[in-house]
Amino acid sequence: MKLRARVAAHTAIMMVLAVTMLAAWPVRGAEQETADSWLLKLGPALNMTTYRGIFVYSRGDQVSSMMIAHRYRDGRVEERLVLQDGANGEILRRGNQVLCVLPEHGRIHLDQVIPSGPFGEAFASQRVPVGAWYQPELLGDDRIAGYPTVVIGLRPRDEHRYGYRLWMEKHTGLLLKSHVRQDGEVLEHFQFTMLEITNDLPDSEFEIESGVEVREVTPDLPVSDKPGEMDGWALGWKPEGFLPAAAPRTDRGQAVAFSDGLATFSVFVEPASGVDMPQGASRVGATTIYMHYASPGPEDARERFLITVVGEIPPRTAMRVAQSVTVDDSNALARTLMD
Amino acid sequence: MSDENSEVQAMDDRLRETLSAMMDDQADELAVRRVLSHHDQPAVRDQWQRWQRIRDVIHETPSGHAGLDVRDAVSASLDRSASADDSHRQAVRRRHAPWRWSAVAMITFGVAIGFGAGSGWDVMSGTGSDSLVPVQAQVPAAAQDSAVPQVTLQGLDARQREQVSRYLLEHAQNNSVVAGQGAVGYARLTSMSGTGY
Repeated sequence: MKLRARVAAHTAIMMVLAVTMLAAWPVRGAEQETADSWLLKLGPALNMTTYRGIFVYSRGDQVSSMMIAHRYRDGRVEERLVLQDGANGEILRRGNQVLCVLPEHGRIHLDQVIPSGPFGEAFASQRVPVGAWYQPELLGDDRIAGYPTVVIGLRPRDEHRYGYRLWMEKHTGLLLKSHVRQDGEVLEHFQFTMLEITNDLPDSEFEIESGVEVREVTPDLPVSDKPGEMDGWALGWKPEGFLPAAAPRTDRGQAVAFSDGLATFSVFVEPASGVDMPQGASRVGATTIYMHYASPGPEDARERFLITVVGEIPPRTAMRVAQSVTVDDSNALARTLMD
Repeated sequence: MSDENSEVQAMDDRLRETLSAMMDDQADELAVRRVLSHHDQPAVRDQWQRWQRIRDVIHETPSGHAGLDVRDAVSASLDRSASADDSHRQAVRRRHAPWRWSAVAMITFGVAIGFGAGSGWDVMSGTGSDSLVPVQAQVPAAAQDSAVPQVTLQGLDARQREQVSRYLLEHAQNNSVVAGQGAVGYARLTSMSGTGY
């Protein structure tokens, strides 16, 4: 009896081995094409899949979880996010309308550095060919929140950006887990822990719980169709592949966002204010903020501008970008600030 | 082929059980001695090598010892230190050492072949290949950042902190807009508000 069990065990190992090899080799043959075709599914799947679940987002020792309900119906996205940890709060989106409900706080507190985004929405961007700056590769299969997934690796082709690892649900292409990585170190981790992919969700899933004060934070996203403009200043260097992207207008100073299709960084140029900021880089998870003062010229040393670069890019990249900013015409910059 | 089959069949069940146990480091000394004194040594060796090859492939050990006859080594070891408690185990363990070591290689192997059935779980959970080379992986990053002046956000006063927060918030907005409809970017805003207290 004992023998039979042993022999059976060894036979089983052999069979697993055979299955493993059979399963692995054909996949490897079609690797490039498959990884690319999976990436094409990513953007549409983010919006056009209907699902609800709970995801966790972690970075360093910080972990937060959020409930999400997402519905795609008649070409419109509806989404409700409810914080599961710490203070109460939820966010409701109906198409382009975004409501932010934070009963315990009159405004959004910004004590924490902003995560670079679990879903990395930038994946949805089709404007930039991701493959030009990242090497896609199919890493295999996994299972997340009960759903089978395919694992895609995106290795950066230079040192100016981070790598990614994406777990996509096999049937819909929905992103169920993601890593932002540098040299094998996971800087940021997003993952569904509970998920239900469904055909439809009832309206009740998208209603704010009654009895809480509703404060409209963003009545309509102030999206500009054209990329941000750089008036009176110029960027001397940016990593290859980052293009100016459409960005909301800000009322203070100038902000221009750049994206390579995956990563995004924003550059802020403002006249130095009363607040003296430290110069240098801070990094939490995958998000770097680099601050640096610059003057239009040696003769204008008194007129200082604060250059700030924020993005999901390595500190060194942020530093190089910030230090490459030159303020050519402080009057032009001042004029745009007045407008 | 038929010779091999008949040899296998000729081997009695207890012998095969002992060989199998030896593969798993579970055979007692008496059983090992029984194997070593078995009349049909070629059959014993064949069976051992067949199983060993399977193990080697699974554990991706270079097949250098596929043709190795462990009999002499084990036998010598048993005789040499017969008084030691588990001398045969040690002997077998020495033989097994490369297999244990190659658990690391097995994970690498799994990565290399693209993860087939069942083998992907550990590594994909981020505990496998990541944790195997953390030191080498982190040193270049740290060295690279060393030239970048560092600012600790904890050291900021309230007004500085507010300004930093504003940049971060606006960047988060940029990020979600740049990417179109992906509303999950707004999760960032709430996660700022909802954690860390």
